[in-house]
Amino acid sequence: MTTSADTHCPYCALQCAMTLTSPTGPAPAAQPGPVPVDLTTAPAAPLEVQGRDFPTNRGGLCRKGWTSANLLNHPGRITEPLLKGPDGVHRPISWDRALDLAAAAVKDARARFGKDAVGVFGGGGLTNEKAYQLGKFARLALGTSRIDYNGRFCMSSAAAAGMRAFGVDRGLPFPLEALDNASTILMLGSNVAETMPPFVQHLKGARDAGGLVVVDPRRSATADFTADGGGLHLQPLPGTDLTLLLGLSHVVIHENLLDTAYVRERTSGYSAVARSVASFWPERVQSLTGVPADLIRETARRLAAGAGKGGSYILTGRGVEQHVDGTDTATAAINLSLLLGLPGSARSGYGTLTGQGNGQGGREHGQKADQLPGYRKITDPAARAHVAGVWGVPEELIPGPGLPAVQLLKSLGKDDGVRCLFVHASNIAVASPDANAVIEGIRRLDFLMVCDFFMSETAAMADLVLPVLQWAEEEGTLTNLEGRVLRRRRALAPPAGARSELWIMARLAERLEAPSTYSEDPETVFEELRLASAGGLADYSGIDYAMLDRGEAAYWPYPAGSTGTPRLFQERFAHADGKAVMTPVLPRRRRTPAGNPLAESGNAAGAKPFTLITGRLLEHYQSGAQTRRVAALLAAQPEARMQIHPAAAAAMGVTDGSFVSVANERGEVVCRAELSTAIRSETVFLPFHFPELESANRLTEAVTDPISGMPEFKFNNVWVRPVAAPVSSKVLQTMEAS
Amino acid sequence: MSEQIVIVGFGPVAARLVDELLPAVRAGQVALTVVGEETEAAYNRVLVADLGVGRTTADALALSDAGALAADGVDVRLGTRVRRVDRARQQVLLSDGTPVHYDRLVFATGSRPVIPNLTGINPDPASPVLPAGVTALRDLRDAGVLRQAVDGGKRVVVLGGGVLGLETALAAAEEGATVTVVHNGPHPLGRTIDQGGGAVLAAGLRRCGVRMAGNARSTGVEHNAPDGGFSALLLDDGSAIDGDLLVISCGVRPRTELAEGCGLSTAAGILVDHRLRAHHEPHIFAIGDCAEVRCPDPGCAACRTAPGPSGLVGPGWRQAEWLAEYLTLLAAGLFEDADLLPELPAEQPGIIVLKARGLNMAVAGDNGADPWDEEALTAGAVNGRPRLQIAQWADPEHGRYVKMTTRGGVLEGLVAVGMPRTAAELVGLFERNAELPADRSLLLRLDGPDQLPGSGSADPAGTVCRCAGVSGAVIQGAVEEGCATVAEVSGATRAGTGCGGCHEDIKGIIEKHFSPAVP
Repeated sequence: MTTSADTHCPYCALQCAMTLTSPTGPAPAAQPGPVPVDLTTAPAAPLEVQGRDFPTNRGGLCRKGWTSANLLNHPGRITEPLLKGPDGVHRPISWDRALDLAAAAVKDARARFGKDAVGVFGGGGLTNEKAYQLGKFARLALGTSRIDYNGRFCMSSAAAAGMRAFGVDRGLPFPLEALDNASTILMLGSNVAETMPPFVQHLKGARDAGGLVVVDPRRSATADFTADGGGLHLQPLPGTDLTLLLGLSHVVIHENLLDTAYVRERTSGYSAVARSVASFWPERVQSLTGVPADLIRETARRLAAGAGKGGSYILTGRGVEQHVDGTDTATAAINLSLLLGLPGSARSGYGTLTGQGNGQGGREHGQKADQLPGYRKITDPAARAHVAGVWGVPEELIPGPGLPAVQLLKSLGKDDGVRCLFVHASNIAVASPDANAVIEGIRRLDFLMVCDFFMSETAAMADLVLPVLQWAEEEGTLTNLEGRVLRRRRALAPPAGARSELWIMARLAERLEAPSTYSEDPETVFEELRLASAGGLADYSGIDYAMLDRGEAAYWPYPAGSTGTPRLFQERFAHADGKAVMTPVLPRRRRTPAGNPLAESGNAAGAKPFTLITGRLLEHYQSGAQTRRVAALLAAQPEARMQIHPAAAAAMGVTDGSFVSVANERGEVVCRAELSTAIRSETVFLPFHFPELESANRLTEAVTDPISGMPEFKFNNVWVRPVAAPVSSKVLQTMEAS
Repeated sequence: MSEQIVIVGFGPVAARLVDELLPAVRAGQVALTVVGEETEAAYNRVLVADLGVGRTTADALALSDAGALAADGVDVRLGTRVRRVDRARQQVLLSDGTPVHYDRLVFATGSRPVIPNLTGINPDPASPVLPAGVTALRDLRDAGVLRQAVDGGKRVVVLGGGVLGLETALAAAEEGATVTVVHNGPHPLGRTIDQGGGAVLAAGLRRCGVRMAGNARSTGVEHNAPDGGFSALLLDDGSAIDGDLLVISCGVRPRTELAEGCGLSTAAGILVDHRLRAHHEPHIFAIGDCAEVRCPDPGCAACRTAPGPSGLVGPGWRQAEWLAEYLTLLAAGLFEDADLLPELPAEQPGIIVLKARGLNMAVAGDNGADPWDEEALTAGAVNGRPRLQIAQWADPEHGRYVKMTTRGGVLEGLVAVGMPRTAAELVGLFERNAELPADRSLLLRLDGPDQLPGSGSADPAGTVCRCAGVSGAVIQGAVEEGCATVAEVSGATRAGTGCGGCHEDIKGIIEKHFSPAVP
């Protein structure tokens, strides 16, 4: 037992290195109190958090990281299994009883509706070990194909585009430090200054060279870095990123800025892409996107010039990926990078910025509906045979592909859908598109089990809530946004009643008399993951805990006997012929705007149409289930605020801090307005971290990208009007949220 | 049984239609023949001037690949004309004598340049004979002619002050040719632009090295070059403008003769209804430059005020996309779905964005009224309809000019010269029929350096380190308690421990604290 542990932050994919120190030695977490609680009396954190020098964060942490230990002994923490009674109140029960109930619910659903009536919804925050074992547990112990996870809402578009172009999907196919010397960095739809602040250190070189180009409809905190000679901010209309990228590729081709030798030797599909962008000359793109033609030319030229100097990088984020054409948009960004000869070159590249803590590892080892460990396709007979061999089961025991997240959630409680759902590391009632419909689906379920350490909005609806461990209480590995495998280490004993998901799966597997084995020991599970991933695209077979504990930098693919792969694609891409594939993509026509739902109820006075974009705040993470429970973070951002341009607000009589209704045919949000010239005047912005009346996802549409299954989070039509303050008070909601 | 679709013409609009029909071709629902007069598959005509000045390559202009289309099963006939259309038999007769049956026939024959009546040029409008040294800059061959002149640093005379002429002139001048634009009226772009905008535009063109000959009426061309080619453009005042190449840029006219020949109704273009069908002929459609949407219903309000063919490619592409969806439904036998397909919305009046590097200009809609012209402003303001409002800003010294003509806050016309961001924003507002901010000057400031700082989320007052949420007061306190370096402040307050962007600010607080007080 030690009194300090070197580990990484529990939140985003940057996985900032931190050291946790217990001033009083390895004491168990304080006994939690009743729910709800008054935040002001929350006890001091049981651990001290220090930033640790590491190539990604260089000792830096953001507010979320600094305050992360406050949740360990938070009074609202769940420390016993809770069963919802007929009166709707959750009461503690024993673990034996809880596991018996869960197993019985599974058997009941299977007997009545078949194996696919049981579903699993995972999360990109689970360690590699848990994500791996969850996929195995679903397919073998539950026997269901119905498993998917919240990464579908996050990385699926970029992943699909990366697979299509490169034959493999690793968020950054190069170490993050490679950005330091770049002279040009094009960031599309990523606001790292708020979502992963220590990342910004790696943009300094490009800013000093005047080469940071940020594409965002908002003048985000990241876009602000382009001011004062740092670079350019392109502010396209929401939903036009793909068109803008086609315009950039047009300039590259027509001004002969492309790397012809690279295109010839390392890519295929050039001619079709060249033809597809021929009709996107800068002035036309200006008309379609609102970005001046000169800025489009300037950006293309800077990218080309940078490739010849310190290096050029193109990075995409959720802003351009969370669309119904997200895969095609990421593909357009990749095509641009290939025309310029960036991927696989010594000093340049393309990457996507993974969001969730283990968003990279979580998408590689079998949590996805269509995948088996090692980034293998579940439909590939060889992949199935390999994994069945490792698991020691006949291949036919592994079900086929299931449903991607949005379809899975749409099926909840339906006759041929999922009737019994297990949710892990996810808050689907807040984080899913068309959240009202998801909540309806949850209510239709026969049985909902949620593993969480807080009463999230989803857990509050569950029949059974199982308390699990927090990051500082467990061992395991995560894979950061660079594809580097990191160790998570235990610094603190967990509360007596909390258990690891690995333990829960193992106990349930026993009760379900499942084939194969389910260890509760992370290292044992990792050893099995190594075997299962061997030979796959995301090959971990050469990585072990001892090596990671020595501090070795392990980037996958890392086949046994190799030294890993810090930089991918240096020699070849992962397609059979070694070439990257360029696929022509075009913007699809958008559906016509929704009607005003208020018009029918005769209540539309003063409502005006806007485009809604959703996103994040520095202080909060995902659905806010954790960060809304940290007093300092909640105090800084206590509620959702709808960002709107002062000119647009003035036209409706909306003032800063006054309440507005944001509505469409799916739902309504009521919150305060925040006036800012940082947003375009026809667009409004809502953060999605808040529940209930402030839940932005009540407005987003569950329409999905045909390739990736990504829903449309960033382009929705809404009607905004000023309203009186809502009846339910903020204080009450804060209490509930705690 | 697949449906036989024949497309006459293989320009940019036809290319889009072909691309959109490809899924149905691959699925075997459509058998597609496309007949193109030129020997190349479709290419981007909009960029022919760029090609002519050496700014791009013919390869990069390509919009279609005949080989790839053939591999997909499309019957591509290049270098072939349609001699006539036999509507009774539903077949077209090709120039090589072969007949091709059609179930649906689409005219995408585009337009041809208007050749003014000048002595020295054969006046037959259908097939004018252009002498050596005269080009209408329409196809790849014409681009080659311009390329020679530009590369040789020759004198180029552009006849016509329309947007295409100006683009050619600017590009050629920038690439080293000596260029004169000859146009009617006091300024280029005629009635499309207003007087102020036209004047600032003309000045901008001159600044870019283009000589402007306004109020000029040309009467003929002179061929005294050594090869017998063009040597000067003659004007009606007896003067002449010498040059080595004459580029005629006097607009385009829809190509309708094939349609007229088979008895279809035409006006400026081939008349089609809101489903792009030729009048009283369910098997024939027309799209792009050759088509004129004007339905047979005399009571149709949209058609009463509809402008003729715009000569712009954007509307044609939208028509191609719509028609592909419609034809695909028809080919699949989904007649009800085809009937339910919403008609294309009426096109906005043309938006012109000057395609040039040294000069930015956008103009759209009606810009005829002036801010002080009460009569024009109140015209049409009846039955509660608001009157026109005009906001205008002119800075000719710096080549900047903006005019916004609005009704009820929505743009009816716009002119923006030398204001790229304002122009981009105004064009977007115009296209979306969106309301302008009441303070119109907001739009002017987009191109200024004084944009207010703003950031993604609410920033509590006085926050120096956003990442860790530390205020200046807290940092000041740490400094007063003895922290003398950024690292020490970071250690005490966590300020500067995230992105590091506030290190300079922290340093400033430290230096201020320790600097000797001014006596």
